[in-house]
Amino acid sequence: MTTIAARLQRLDLQRSVIYLGFLAIFLFFAITLHGDGFLTSRNLTNIVLQTAPATIMAIGLVFALSAGEIDLSFGSVVAVSALSAAVAMQSYPMAVGVLAGLGAGALIGAINGVLVAYLRLPSFLVTLATMGLFAGIARSMTDLRSIPVLNDTFTGIFGSGSLFSVPSLVIWTVVAVAIGHIVYRNTRFGAHVLATGDNARAAQVSGIKVPRIRLGVLMLCGTMAGLAGLLYAGRLQAAKYTLGESDLMTVIAAVIVGGTALNGGKGSIIGALLGSLLMGMLNNGLILMGLDVSDQMIVRGLIILIAVAVSLRDASR
Amino acid sequence: MKSAAKYLAASALFGLMSVTTLSPSAMAQTIGPGGETATPSAEVVVGADSLEAIRGAGYKAALLWHDQSDFVNAVSAGARDEFDRLGIEVVATTSAGFDAAKQRSDIETSLAKEPNIILSLPLDPVTSAAAFKEARDGGVSLVFLSNLPAGYEHPRDYAAIVTDDLFQMGKQAADALASAMGGKGTVGWIYHDADYYVTNQRDNAFKTTIENDYPDISIVAEQGISDPARAEEIANAMLLKNPDLGGIYVTWAGPAEGVLAALRANGNKTTKIVTLDLSEPVALDMVRGGNVAAIVADEAYELGRAMAAAAALRLAGKDVPPFVTAPAITVTADTVQEGWKKSLNIDAPASVSSAQ
Repeated sequence: MTTIAARLQRLDLQRSVIYLGFLAIFLFFAITLHGDGFLTSRNLTNIVLQTAPATIMAIGLVFALSAGEIDLSFGSVVAVSALSAAVAMQSYPMAVGVLAGLGAGALIGAINGVLVAYLRLPSFLVTLATMGLFAGIARSMTDLRSIPVLNDTFTGIFGSGSLFSVPSLVIWTVVAVAIGHIVYRNTRFGAHVLATGDNARAAQVSGIKVPRIRLGVLMLCGTMAGLAGLLYAGRLQAAKYTLGESDLMTVIAAVIVGGTALNGGKGSIIGALLGSLLMGMLNNGLILMGLDVSDQMIVRGLIILIAVAVSLRDASR
Repeated sequence: MKSAAKYLAASALFGLMSVTTLSPSAMAQTIGPGGETATPSAEVVVGADSLEAIRGAGYKAALLWHDQSDFVNAVSAGARDEFDRLGIEVVATTSAGFDAAKQRSDIETSLAKEPNIILSLPLDPVTSAAAFKEARDGGVSLVFLSNLPAGYEHPRDYAAIVTDDLFQMGKQAADALASAMGGKGTVGWIYHDADYYVTNQRDNAFKTTIENDYPDISIVAEQGISDPARAEEIANAMLLKNPDLGGIYVTWAGPAEGVLAALRANGNKTTKIVTLDLSEPVALDMVRGGNVAAIVADEAYELGRAMAAAAALRLAGKDVPPFVTAPAITVTADTVQEGWKKSLNIDAPASVSSAQ
């Protein structure tokens, strides 16, 4: 008993809050929506499918925030990437489309990274500017038109298909989270990211190439947003300039609720996954409860506010 | 912004598929995606012969909208009231906030409640084709507002499309402005400079009507607008070149507020404005005897009622007309109370009522 009590005392509330919050909200919906289809495997799978792009973006953002930077442009990257892939696949094979989508994300990430890492401009302002810049480019790329994606192999791999009855979006989520978690926790790059975010000067003195880390995390963020764009294009079987526009706040909230510090040096990929699923579960459950749209927004906002407040309050201790 | 949002949703493909037929006499009508003749919404009614069967069936409906606005609220109210009458429960209401991915998620989520009916404005014909597939394949009675998913065919895939009588809206705006100008003078035409079916049809109907029906009125200035925030500077430039403009047509109420600001800044009390869709500031100017001569609006509540009725008729095994239009109404200072109620199913704002 003493051991358990001691362990409980040592329990890091901030790390636990996402698990406890996730469980509490899941149980709440499971009980209140018992007869309304919430617990059906179809509905629970839908939540994972619907949150897959946000989860992928959240992984990139965990790296950026952990390094003490932020990326506000990833929503715009999603649209540019999806449109680049869709346009490319109208004339070229699928591989070119995939490369165009991921390449667009990596390139925008590199632009952000160079401005932040080597010109020492604040990432908040740089990515605020590039958010608008690339949102405009996404709109002008196809004159606001949606581009259908008719390549069945692409839509199968990136959103609409399944492998051994497991939907491809679930596979993408699991693989991305697993790789992200390993890189974040068990590689030198992950350690350098955390060291940079914890104290950039100390990291520099200890031999870490801080500018390269900053460039790396922002490129990673852009590439992950590019991948999210491909997943949206596969899921909707089309690309549109509005894709990703509404994901910025959802992804930031998911990452913060998941235990990643806004000021760097601390984060969790698994937490970001749970944060993203939590956001999806809230959307899903509040709709199934039959609330009208305004009430859904109010309740969702209040729950996110409480979750973020608990996370950040504990982090500040 | 309600209208801007609405127009963004009613996008290009439907426009490509649909045609507004115009003739020199400006007698025209909007026809459907497959060339269907428009059926007036008043003809889409659940009669006594179907009522009891529908009421006893325990049907459920989901309202999956593209956005939130007073227009959507009015459409929802019309649908809910009709569903109440028919004993159909509304089990889910969503707003996609113009996000095509969210609209797809909303459809998937609502299907967990196993609705028999979905009323929705597909955000985009291309992206919504895949989004509505599961619901369509599951036999849900789909009724669409203004937009049609690409490749969907009536009656196989959907019960009906319900939309505004777009040509009539533009035509009535032209008639109202001509009336305010005494049938003669010069006009500025501020149209929506984008490839959007709804605005394009309405704007062109105004222009065609002026050109064909009012020989003593000439359109001397034409200016497209894509950003409503630029309406004031566009109007200023137009007035600088044409200080004696008798009237200005503005594509919808949002930019009309900017045009109004420009007229006020110029001390201009004579140039008349007509615009489309209700807006409190524009209506306030109208009832105070300002520049605004008339506002042409759609019957949003009736759109919702007709959507609900069409969906229920489909479930009752009745033939449902594929393409249904709700009428347009011209709102003037004298009719603002009735017009507001008829269009949005709410009372006119207190500021407008008290200024009368």
